[in-house]
Amino acid sequence: MEPVLKLRNLKVIFPTSYGLIRAVEGVDLDIHEQECVALVGESGCGKSVTSQSIMRLIDSPPALTRVDTLEFCGEDIQDYTPKQMQEIRGRDMSMIFQDAMTSLNPVMTVGRQIDEMYIRHQGVSKQEARELTVQALGLIGLPEPRTRANSFPHQLSGGMRQRVLLAMAFACHPKLLIADEPTTALDVTIQAQVLSLLRNMQTGCGTALLLVTHDLSVVASMADTVYVMYSGKIVEKAPVKDLFESPQHPYTVGLMAAVPRLTDTRKEFYQIPGTVPHPANKPSGCYFHPRCEYATEQCAKEMPPLRSSGTNREVRCFHPL
Amino acid sequence: MNPILTMQNVSVNFPVKGGLPFLKKRFVQAVSDVSLTINQGETFGVVGESGCGKTTLGNAMIGMVKPTSGEVIFQGKNLYTLPKEEFKATRRQMQMIFQDPYSSLNPRFNVYQIISEPMFIRGEDDEETMKARVVELLELVGLSSDDLYRYPSDFSGGQRQRLGIARSIILNPSFLVCDEPVSALDVSIHAQILNLLNEIQAQMNLTYVFISHNLADVKNMCDRLAVMYLGKIMESGSSEKIFRNPLHPYTQALLAVVLDTVVGKEREFVILKGDIPSPINPPMGCRFWQRCPKAMEGCKTVPPEHLEVEEDHFVACHLVNGFPDVELPTNYDQLVG
Repeated sequence: MEPVLKLRNLKVIFPTSYGLIRAVEGVDLDIHEQECVALVGESGCGKSVTSQSIMRLIDSPPALTRVDTLEFCGEDIQDYTPKQMQEIRGRDMSMIFQDAMTSLNPVMTVGRQIDEMYIRHQGVSKQEARELTVQALGLIGLPEPRTRANSFPHQLSGGMRQRVLLAMAFACHPKLLIADEPTTALDVTIQAQVLSLLRNMQTGCGTALLLVTHDLSVVASMADTVYVMYSGKIVEKAPVKDLFESPQHPYTVGLMAAVPRLTDTRKEFYQIPGTVPHPANKPSGCYFHPRCEYATEQCAKEMPPLRSSGTNREVRCFHPL
Repeated sequence: MNPILTMQNVSVNFPVKGGLPFLKKRFVQAVSDVSLTINQGETFGVVGESGCGKTTLGNAMIGMVKPTSGEVIFQGKNLYTLPKEEFKATRRQMQMIFQDPYSSLNPRFNVYQIISEPMFIRGEDDEETMKARVVELLELVGLSSDDLYRYPSDFSGGQRQRLGIARSIILNPSFLVCDEPVSALDVSIHAQILNLLNEIQAQMNLTYVFISHNLADVKNMCDRLAVMYLGKIMESGSSEKIFRNPLHPYTQALLAVVLDTVVGKEREFVILKGDIPSPINPPMGCRFWQRCPKAMEGCKTVPPEHLEVEEDHFVACHLVNGFPDVELPTNYDQLVG
């Protein structure tokens, strides 16, 4: 089956005064219909840059972006003009960000911001748009949607603002939704509400979801396929069940062990030594080798290729576990 | 058990800015009627969602916010009635680690200045002594003496948090409030800082108050804990007992929404309805009743008492404690409006 999104060899470089920052180095990504793909990594690993490049939101220049293939629903959108991209964004492909307060316009009622989606993409009248908005707000479980549509973002709580963004993102039943850390800024009880809503909306609209997050527990409960990123490269790709049962890359193993769990009984926490390399000053060979307990001489010299290591699995390591 | 700090019926109210001069002044009840005991040498956890008053509680413990009412007794002395000089001497025993390592370090100070500042304030003026002490601490927290003249912007988040820790222990405190020390850090750094905190605690025989919203961290770090909601303690006591047998519906809900990294089982989120109410007009009765899946009629009007249900396990819930022998107001609807 043709994937909704097919990305091959994405490279993004930012020239800065520190030198070239290679934020993304050759990322391949496939997202199939109705699938939830998670992109996991720590801050600075290039996961947000990857997701924004898919929407073509990274301006180039200043950034240098190269991509071999960027196909959305079988169409090559690499050379789309800004106007063509505007047509797709919001209608076929939409995005929600971590911080709902800064993604909403503070001087416009939330209702009008959602109305815009319908007016722009479905060509309906203002009145019709408002009806659709009220329906959408009701669907995401906002109490009294008609009155709420007239509130400004600051009058809503963090959870509600994130719901409004969800309503906006799903307004035109997009084929692909990119959610960049959708629940990081929320409290745990609200996080559970938003995640379950996100999942219901996703199955309801038949949308494919790219979930960008650093939180492995969110990944475990939402994703079908997981890509783990480290320092601009994909280090492991696997179906979610396989990844959590038998992680193969030492980084993935470390990351999982480092998450404290409720079932733990020990007081000592497992830690990955060292820190993430600075993006302008990456080590030679495998980027993870200075922190890796299995590293050999070969790891310090060569970057391992991303090799197949089972059904639908790939790992970038000379000594996979 | 040797208590180091006791809080008795502590409340902290903040006046709400704005409003008209002839209107009644409104208050945010950040902490209301909290009583707890922290023992020497333990790690005491404070868990809750944002806005529940956990940071204010931490500030009240070390004398940074004066409680509106109630007493804070540290090592047998009532903090807020001490004469100024004695307060300063006592205050030296209590330090704090802040949540955000980016805004809690002065960007124009170098590492030496940042870490030695508490010594300097306390009247130390010998450069050599200070320098030696700073280097010793830098090594303790995993940095080196080469870093002495670098600036905070040269360090990563985890390293900055290490600087913050070094600064907080330079005066050899006995009591340290860690206010969300790892929530701004990446997963792989997270564990490093928690381990460092544990090491330092063992070396210096410190008492920690560990404020966090992450139940898994709290479970692994703390000996005793308090679960807060809207300024009140819902459940408190031994960490092991609370995690084995959570009695308050809020604690149960919090535990249920902690996502685990286990795939396979089809997850059903136990979801609390609604949002946290505003602390300006907290609900009367139990603060949690509007979101509580097991709320009863009486919960709306009668605030539950914080009672001991087993040794070192306190719960404030009518479901567990039963209703006290009081007349329930019959004009509830009028009271609420």
